[in-house]
Amino acid sequence: MKQIVEARKIKKTYGARGNLFTALDEIDLTVQEGEFVGIMGPSGAGKSTLLNVLATIDEPTSGEITIDGFTILNMNEEQLSNFRRDKLGFIFQDYNLLDTLTVKENILLPLALAKIDVIKLEERVEAVAEKFGITAILDKYPYQISGGQKQRTAASRAIVTKPSLLLADEPTGALDSKSATDLLESLKELSEQEQATILMVTHDAYAASYCGRVIFIKDGKLFTELVKGKSSRKEFFQKVLDVLSALGGGTNDII
Amino acid sequence: MTLFDLAKKNIQGNFSNYLVYFVSMVFSIIIYFTFVSLQYNEKIQQSILLSNTMNFLFMASSLLLLLFVAVFILYSNSFFTRNRKREVGLYSLLGLKKKTIGKMLFYENFLMGMLALVVGIIFGTLLSKLFTMILVKLMGSSAEIEFGISIEAIGQTILVFLIIIIITSIQGYRLIYRFKLIELFHAAKKGELTPKVSIGSTVLGLLLLIVSYWLILRSFPEELTEGYILANYGIALVSMVIGTHLFFSSVVISLLKLYKRNKARYYKGTNLIGTSQLLHRIQGNARTFTMIALLSAVTISLFGAAYSGYYGNEKNSFEMVPFSYSHQSKGDEFDDQIESLIQADKEHPITAQVELPIVEVEGQLTFTFSYEVTAMKLVPVKAYNEVVKALQTGKVLSLSEDEAIAIKPRLTEYNSSLFKGEQLHLSDEMHELTFVDMLEGSVLPFDYPDFYIIVSDEFFTEIANDIKPKLYKVYEVEGEKSTAVTSEKINQLVGKEDFQVYPSFYTEYKEGKEGNALTLFIFGFLGLVFLAATGSIIYFKQLTEANETKTSYEILRKIGVNKRAVRNTIQMQTLFVFGLPLTVGIVHSSVILNFISNFISDLIGANVIVPIVTAMAAFIVIYIGYYILTVHTYNKIANK
Repeated sequence: MKQIVEARKIKKTYGARGNLFTALDEIDLTVQEGEFVGIMGPSGAGKSTLLNVLATIDEPTSGEITIDGFTILNMNEEQLSNFRRDKLGFIFQDYNLLDTLTVKENILLPLALAKIDVIKLEERVEAVAEKFGITAILDKYPYQISGGQKQRTAASRAIVTKPSLLLADEPTGALDSKSATDLLESLKELSEQEQATILMVTHDAYAASYCGRVIFIKDGKLFTELVKGKSSRKEFFQKVLDVLSALGGGTNDII
Repeated sequence: MTLFDLAKKNIQGNFSNYLVYFVSMVFSIIIYFTFVSLQYNEKIQQSILLSNTMNFLFMASSLLLLLFVAVFILYSNSFFTRNRKREVGLYSLLGLKKKTIGKMLFYENFLMGMLALVVGIIFGTLLSKLFTMILVKLMGSSAEIEFGISIEAIGQTILVFLIIIIITSIQGYRLIYRFKLIELFHAAKKGELTPKVSIGSTVLGLLLLIVSYWLILRSFPEELTEGYILANYGIALVSMVIGTHLFFSSVVISLLKLYKRNKARYYKGTNLIGTSQLLHRIQGNARTFTMIALLSAVTISLFGAAYSGYYGNEKNSFEMVPFSYSHQSKGDEFDDQIESLIQADKEHPITAQVELPIVEVEGQLTFTFSYEVTAMKLVPVKAYNEVVKALQTGKVLSLSEDEAIAIKPRLTEYNSSLFKGEQLHLSDEMHELTFVDMLEGSVLPFDYPDFYIIVSDEFFTEIANDIKPKLYKVYEVEGEKSTAVTSEKINQLVGKEDFQVYPSFYTEYKEGKEGNALTLFIFGFLGLVFLAATGSIIYFKQLTEANETKTSYEILRKIGVNKRAVRNTIQMQTLFVFGLPLTVGIVHSSVILNFISNFISDLIGANVIVPIVTAMAAFIVIYIGYYILTVHTYNKIANK
């Protein structure tokens, strides 16, 4: 099986001498192709920092990161941009859709940026929109659709280029439970049927229970790791809750 | 924390916001003060007293400027408050009394205004010195203009701006009362819908523009009545204004939508982002664009016309008064007095001196000629050739006995084909002349009727036996543009009977130059103000937009658009926003100038292309400066 993410001893510190804050403390992480991995931990544990570093949006202080065979730390600005465009897909909590573009245009944006041929581009958009069930709203603008629809649009945009790695930062954070379940089902399907590799940061144990593996971080260090294996989603959910209470993130984080 | 502390903290925290507002206030005050102090300048006051047009021009300009400055300050004020609605909402949410917030905003604005007034007047004083120097240079005056601080100007500026500042301060006070709390929080969040346009308004917009162009460009009817002028150009003006607005609110949108239809191009790279953003914003900007386009059109036209006048002055003066000095001979004593006067001016030695005998005759022409023919002025070819040599213009002629060459009467539009082969029967019925040509370039200062005919020397001698010729003496001196002292004396001696214009070139030239310089200066000044203000308005608009779309660009960066591509879209959008109104303005002004130049090129006989192109180029260059500045700042905000 192919290794998509390989991160070694990633360290990230903020601040100047005397007042150093370590957000990530020598974290190692390996993700195989087709895995759906969740990252959990209390607020300030470094989840988002980790995701940003892997997303090439932020730079680690030290360490090594290889994604789909590319060492990303030596790349310059332009190479990184192209890398993000071609290899990565993003889903954010606040959707990050462009208000001036229709749903369809938002989805096809990465393909347009990669200067893909129009006919192929339209085909891809149709296929992806169907998968997420948003074909009917393709010509609407973001402010005309619901939060769930927005997030499914964002997800469509993220996978339309068939990225090597899909990064999701609290994708269900702003959704009601029905919309959240729909999205999570779609992501799970994506990883099972199309071997999509997904890395998802979440606070939500319910969302995490859809993953195949969940990594827990505390104070910038790896705390533990849970693998779903053969257990049912419900059992896995319970296990996640147990770890969370051991982690002591407070009850607020468990909902 | 006291209210004062809070206000102080506000200013520190939002410094750049305040700075932009403060600078635009100072700018307006400087401009207004400079103009007003020029108005109160002694030298200009004299000119104003001299001419009614100048008086009107100054009054109209200062009123226009006042209006403009007021609108500009109100505009920057609303731009400034829009950015702060959220902050104000927060104070209210935290439990500050509305009255307290209102008072705080009032004081803040009032104090800032007062400070701007002081700074503006100080800088304005320095600047008015600079502008006075420019004006003096333009007028070609050697006299030093006293540099004093004009109390009247300061008083007027303070009065005007005090009113404006109080109005804006009251606006600030009322801000908290005018809006509901919820509205304050969503000030910048209003979703802008994609504009809908009807085909009807698009077609109407284009139609109105075409009609207004046609009305302006069509040639005059046989009889030019006031009613015609009012109706024709009134309709043209109204349809141009409405047409321009429809152009921005409908035509451009239709064009962009058309562009969107071509998916292969639209879905390529960042075209998608740029086009859709422009489309979303244009309707909200349509009114600004219209205003800017029309303002640019007016400014370029007026400045172009004024510059043409200034530019053509020398040529015009030379045409009206060909020689440095000219006078009719009035006996030896008088003539000698003049000659010795001119000789006494050692700095301007005589280069040529010609005696011109002229016979005035009546006669019939064999063709219809609408000019006055009761006093045609005959010049012998020998004397004419001497003039040609003295002035070093035109070519030496030779004529046989009955041949004649007409000199085109000044301020008319005849061409030589009208004269060629035609004949002139003099009223004595014994003489006949045949025209072989018509040429331009007169010999004496203008005096109506201005119809000179060059005849052969033999013919002239013959006719001079019957009618006693008038003798004119003309002098050409070196450096005729600076003969102030001698010219003044000659003017007094010769008086006003000989010609309808001044007998000395210098005076004609100088007066024209001063008048034109003042017009040019006023229009140049106003043009500069409009230009700076419209440029700043676009700049403000783009920066507001930059702050609003910052997140969009962040998203783009995250999904893999590199900095260069983001910069490109920003450049493209900014180019569009600056280029579109400017282009419309230039096209409008070309049409208007084409119309104006029909008048002025006749009147001043100057080539108007050079000054008009210069005016447009100056406009474009300043806009390019604004464009570069805007792209730079926009990029810094949105593409970090």
